[in-house]
Amino acid sequence: MDLNIKRKSTKTVIKGSLVETYPHDLQMYKLPPTEEISLQEFETLALERLMLLRSLATATTLKGFRAFSDEWKEYVQNELRNQGLKYYAKLCEYTKHGTDADLQARKKDHIAHFILRLAYCRNEELRRWFVARELELFKMRFMTMNSEAVDAFFRLNNLSYTNISDEEKSGIISFLRESTAHQNIENMKFYKVKFYEVLDLVKFRKVFLSGGYAYIPHKDFVSVLSAQFRKHLRHSLAVACHHLGEIEQDERLVCLLKGLHQSYTGADYADTKAVVPIESLDSLSVKSYPLCMRQLHEQLRLSHHLKHGGRLQYGLFLKGIGVTLEDSLRFWREEFTKIMDLDNFEKQYSYYIRYNYGKEGSKRNYSPLSCLKIVNETVGPGDCHGCPYRHCDVSNLKNKLQGYGMDPQAISDIVDTAKKGHFQVACSKYFDSVNNVDLGLGINHPNQYFEESQKLLKGEIKVIKKEKGNIKKETIEDLEFDEDF
Amino acid sequence: MVGQYDENLLPDMLPIYYTKYFPQNIFCRWLSCGSSPQPLSNRELSFTLADDVYLRYLSICDQKELQTLFQKKCPHKLDIGAVYNTKPSIARHDSVVLARELVFDIDLTDYDEVRTCCKEAKVCEKCWKFMVIACEIIDKALKDDFGFQSILWVFSGRRGIHCWVSDYEARVLDSPGRGAVADYLCLIMGGENQSKKVNLGNDNLHTSIRRALDVIDKYFEEILQDQEFFATADGLKALLKLIPDETLRSQVEKKLEKLPECSLERWRQFTSLYDSYCRENGFAIRKMKYLVEEIKIQYCYPRLDVNVTKGFNHLLKSPFSIHPKTGKVSIVFKPNNARKMKLSDVPTIYSLLDDSSAYSVEHQNNMKTSVKNFQEVVFSLEKAEAMRRKNDANISLEF
Ligand code: SF4
Ligand SMILES: [Zn+2]
Repeated sequence: MDLNIKRKSTKTVIKGSLVETYPHDLQMYKLPPTEEISLQEFETLALERLMLLRSLATATTLKGFRAFSDEWKEYVQNELRNQGLKYYAKLCEYTKHGTDADLQARKKDHIAHFILRLAYCRNEELRRWFVARELELFKMRFMTMNSEAVDAFFRLNNLSYTNISDEEKSGIISFLRESTAHQNIENMKFYKVKFYEVLDLVKFRKVFLSGGYAYIPHKDFVSVLSAQFRKHLRHSLAVACHHLGEIEQDERLVCLLKGLHQSYTGADYADTKAVVPIESLDSLSVKSYPLCMRQLHEQLRLSHHLKHGGRLQYGLFLKGIGVTLEDSLRFWREEFTKIMDLDNFEKQYSYYIRYNYGKEGSKRNYSPLSCLKIVNETVGPGDCHGCPYRHCDVSNLKNKLQGYGMDPQAISDIVDTAKKGHFQVACSKYFDSVNNVDLGLGINHPNQYFEESQKLLKGEIKVIKKEKGNIKKETIEDLEFDEDF
Repeated sequence: MVGQYDENLLPDMLPIYYTKYFPQNIFCRWLSCGSSPQPLSNRELSFTLADDVYLRYLSICDQKELQTLFQKKCPHKLDIGAVYNTKPSIARHDSVVLARELVFDIDLTDYDEVRTCCKEAKVCEKCWKFMVIACEIIDKALKDDFGFQSILWVFSGRRGIHCWVSDYEARVLDSPGRGAVADYLCLIMGGENQSKKVNLGNDNLHTSIRRALDVIDKYFEEILQDQEFFATADGLKALLKLIPDETLRSQVEKKLEKLPECSLERWRQFTSLYDSYCRENGFAIRKMKYLVEEIKIQYCYPRLDVNVTKGFNHLLKSPFSIHPKTGKVSIVFKPNNARKMKLSDVPTIYSLLDDSSAYSVEHQNNMKTSVKNFQEVVFSLEKAEAMRRKNDANISLEF
């Protein structure tokens, strides 16, 4: 990492005029900038890029738009304009030659990206968040380019691929037709890449595979490139983390960089100060648990057992709300020993409870799972974990809510929202209905759900009860996304 | 029944088994090849001793050390872990996992919601057919789609099968890569709260799914009769839950209830109702174009434990380890022989060591065949590794 701020720079990595340095709107950020900039500029650029990344996250999670859909893009573009980030908005709409303003925008893009690398390299959680956002940005920009721009981009980055011959193509055309997610396969040129270069396509079975190769049309190169981009960025962040010490000799930077990520990643609930006695869990599960946890709690009481995924999800949540390790052990023991002997429990299960609290194995202080992790969990036969808005059948979900005696209107509203795939929005509606308020909170963490509900009950938040003209409360919108594509 | 399962005999029998029957030489060759370019000693082994004492981070340099370790510790169970950048026993804290076979674990307990013959730890010849299908489908996909060649299939010792892919590309695949392969192969999704666990959408079926369906079709009616999925009231209810269209659902319900309690007959009636319903209602096709396929998949497609595949350093039971509860050997089998394999053919430590056992001769032979199967895979892996190294050397010479 080589970022000099008002200090003598010895290396000049990038030379020449802006046109030569920034020939294209989209860049892979291979080389760091060497310009000198003022601390003021440094801070502005960083904050502006954060706003950009944040609006990407909001579009997917809180608004519930499908990533890269038209509404999603439109939302992001509007956000950028509203927040005075026109130059980013323009960068996302490919400009061909580049006026001076364009060139300046490309430069800002370049510098800001590198500043955030410094702010977000210090731990795995931050790195994941940052990589996921930057990847979204990269993909969005790539997908809006026309084919001329794509060609130019390939040329500039020395990416050369040769398409397969017509004979080879006609030999597999029927497979391509059934396994590729595009129309008009006949008129497309196809390319052969190793399957691990396009994992996102493999994962969703959107590509024809044969003998270890994936057959992709030009359009799907975004997968190849974003995989490379991701790999490169991950690596660079690891390197940056190593050299953090050198940069942190400058006090002013330390404050700035630390402040940046703290204001934008939200709490991780790994260390709580509250203490919650286990005797109160039954009543809390009704009043203050999000549905995912309520369901696990009830299942545990009912069958005195939870499978691994459930123990992890619920166990960490309990830790996050303030159940101590001793209490937690007692809680699980009391349930499990209804169906097994104590010895068995101690041997098979107590290890994992201590593990969750960082007392075994790698001794890491594990954070409770966020909604995004839970929503993306793999839920298999016999499992009760996951997010009910995603992992329950509609009829099942309905029955459950009816069983809780909730208002029919609210139930159908929640179920409809969940059906559309807006799981966290459904969760927020459940919150409102249970607490009889109309806050429309953005829920992104079960422990946040819990805390908000507790605050309400303790009267720490003033709310206007279900009435018109309600006040919406702002919450941390920043979300941790699973970086896997 | 075979032999006398007495766990108390194990401490006496195991040392003999390890010396006389466990294919130590081939085993070490398989693991060395699968650890290269790291030395064999960087591979983690773990032992479960009597009384569930668990030893992790063991390693060996060669066959001699393996034999010594076996005799000293007498493990009741042997597991294999990942390849590290150092000997796993030292410097545990900054050791890094570098490679690991790509593994798959399929266990019959995950079929409990569909199989009717047995539950939990039990297995019989009927439900073993699920494993036969699983093996055939996964093996084909690994070979045809991913181009892998060194694939080892192992009986897990009780109620499932394991698959180890040792190709270099598979060994060094990173976590997102493993996740993507697992997801590619996983069609059944959802837990206790979801009845319908398969959704194929309404686009064309992916080549790999069509191929899997071809395999399922070979066995479907047979399994249907074995398991009688839809014969009972509960079984029928489960089927009805999978039909998303209310009109069709009640049609099916009315018709099927009247039929005798025979799954095959009920199934045929269902598909013909479905066909005519779709013919008459164009919209239905959009909503449930692949309903029949989805149901077949839900009942017969392999149920992978994806966490085992995704995890880079999940420990997995070694081939030829003894299952401490059943005494059965985790034998290596050929995927195209899976169909003929009977659970009673699997040698146990008791039948191998007891000459007077009625199964002794047969089991001795089966054990030999199994070692031969193992050898075949290892030999071809060794060849592939030699090729790879030669190619690497050539490439580096060019620079
Ligand atoms: S949205 Fe989050 S908190 Fe709500 S139920 Fe789902 S996972 Fe739980
Ligand atoms: Zn059975």
